[in-house]
This record gives sequence, structure tokens and C-alpha cells, in this order.
Amino acid sequence: MNRMKEDFKLDNLPKHNIYQVPEQYFDRLPMRVMERTAGAERQVPAWQQSLWAPLRTAIAPLVLLLVFVGAFIVTLQQQKQDEQYALQPLAEEEILDYLSYNEDLETADFAELSSMSKQDFTEDFLNISSVAAEEELEYYHIRHIQE
Amino acid sequence: MEDKEILEKFSQPESQNLAFNQLVRKYQQKIYWHIRKMVIDHDDADDLTQEVFVKVWKNLGNFRQDAQLYTWIYRIATNECLTFLSNKKKRFFLPIHDVASELAEKIDTSPDISGDEIQLKLQKALLRLPDKQRLVFNMKYYDEMKYEEISEILGTSVGALKTSYHLAVKKIEEFIKRD
Repeated sequence: MNRMKEDFKLDNLPKHNIYQVPEQYFDRLPMRVMERTAGAERQVPAWQQSLWAPLRTAIAPLVLLLVFVGAFIVTLQQQKQDEQYALQPLAEEEILDYLSYNEDLETADFAELSSMSKQDFTEDFLNISSVAAEEELEYYHIRHIQE
Repeated sequence: MEDKEILEKFSQPESQNLAFNQLVRKYQQKIYWHIRKMVIDHDDADDLTQEVFVKVWKNLGNFRQDAQLYTWIYRIATNECLTFLSNKKKRFFLPIHDVASELAEKIDTSPDISGDEIQLKLQKALLRLPDKQRLVFNMKYYDEMKYEEISEILGTSVGALKTSYHLAVKKIEEFIKRD
């Protein structure tokens, strides 16, 4: 043994593994590793991480811009609609027609008419028969005298 | 299954687990023995091997295919070993010599270590080497890796690795002759 030690050269020594593992250790190891990985969270790949950070910064002002543009468009459309109703040019004739058909004349209106009796109003404008108009005028005229 | 195929399947969610299982089966023995020769104890080697594969699982998405997969896994395993041994030294406030003695004692007493006297002596001699030199020796002598591959794993130049290996052989031979 001592001589062997003195002449010892690593190259002459056969390679031998002195370590042992429990039986079927390598058959079970993959399953045990898989059990551990099942609960382990995977890291997001670096390229995704590096892409997400600037993307996130870029998206925020973009979303804000889109909100402003959207609000502007809605306001513009609303304005156009209002203008359409407000500025729609109506022929004078149409206005008169509307009034003649829809305006209900009250007796107070005829009171005013007494002071305007000298003016010439057409039957069409008053929308009452000439007989009725005469009667109304007469009534107001009598009341005026009595007072 | 080739590494390329494993990586391809791993990138698809439906075949991810299958691909990873294949990867573990392919590399488990190499990684386990690489770790075991460094930490000596089976339970420590078992924990570290699992830890290595969990790290592989977590980071495989970041793996750049300009390096070889097994080189990358070896690098993770090597770092785990060095961190483990470094923590062991810090935890017990022991100088390197005492950690070496503790590991040498395991060689004598552990039931799952057996060999003839010269083989046991060789392992004890290895424990006298600094951790990084021991790594270089194991990878060259036992794993029969090329210096270029070791260089990629350890980030050390080929020239420095050659010097380190030859010095390690010399130290081991002297230790055995002297003891």
C-alpha cells in the first residue's frame, strides 16, 4: 500500500463513483420536481418585461387622448344638432300657417283688437268668422262705454 | 428528445409540462452527480438538485438559445453549489478547513458512500482544494468535459482552467503520497 502511495499517479487510478443513491431515486425525482414546479410561479420572459414597461407608459397618455377626442366629437355633434334646430330657416308663410292653425285666440286678444280696429285684418289671420268677430267687438265696445 | 425539441415544446402551454418532464429526465443524473461530488451528503444534493430544476422551470422562458441548454443548467447547478458551501461556512463561523473536515467525516461515516481506501482518500484529498478548483477538477476528471465547455459554465478562461486542473492533480497526488 505504501509503495502504491509513493508511485501514485492519478492517471493510473480507475475512475470509480463511491457515492450511492437510494433505490429508484432517479425514477421518483422527476415527479418530485414536477410537484414543486406546480406551485412555483414562472417568471415573465425578459423581453416581455422590457416591452411592457415602456408600453405601459405609452398607453396611459394614449388612453387619455382618446377620451378627450371622444368627448370633443360628441360635443361637436351635439352642437351641430342644436344649430340645425335653431337656425333652420322658416319661411314667413310657414310661421303664419302654424300660428293660424295652432294658436287659440282668447277673449283678451280681442280686447287688444278693439284698439286696432281701424287696421285691416284679414279673416284668414283672425281665423274666426266675420259675424263672431263683430259680436265680440260689440261686446267689448258696450263694456267700455258702461265703465 | 433533443434540446431544441424540448425548448420548442416548452414554449407551447399545452406541452409545457411534458417538455419539462423530459428535460428533468435527461439531465437529472448529470446535475445530481455534479452537485453530490461537491456537497457529499445525499440529502443536501437532493435538495439542491430539486432547487436547480425549479430555477430552470422559472427561468427557461428567459433562456437565450445562443448558449447550450445543458451548459446553462450546469451553470445554475454550479452557482447553487457554491452558494450552499459559502452559506455553510458562514453559518457555522468555520474556516474552510473545518468544513472540509466535516465533509471528510461524512465520507467515512455515511452509509451511502463506499469504496476502496485509495478511492476514499482521493475524495478526501479533493476536499482540501478550494471550491472552484474542486469544481474544475470534477468537471474535467469525472464529467470529462472540454475546457471550452467548463469555461462557458464558470466564466473563466481556458488557460486559467488548464492551470487550475494541473495544479489540482499535483496537489491531490502529493496529498495521497504524503498521507
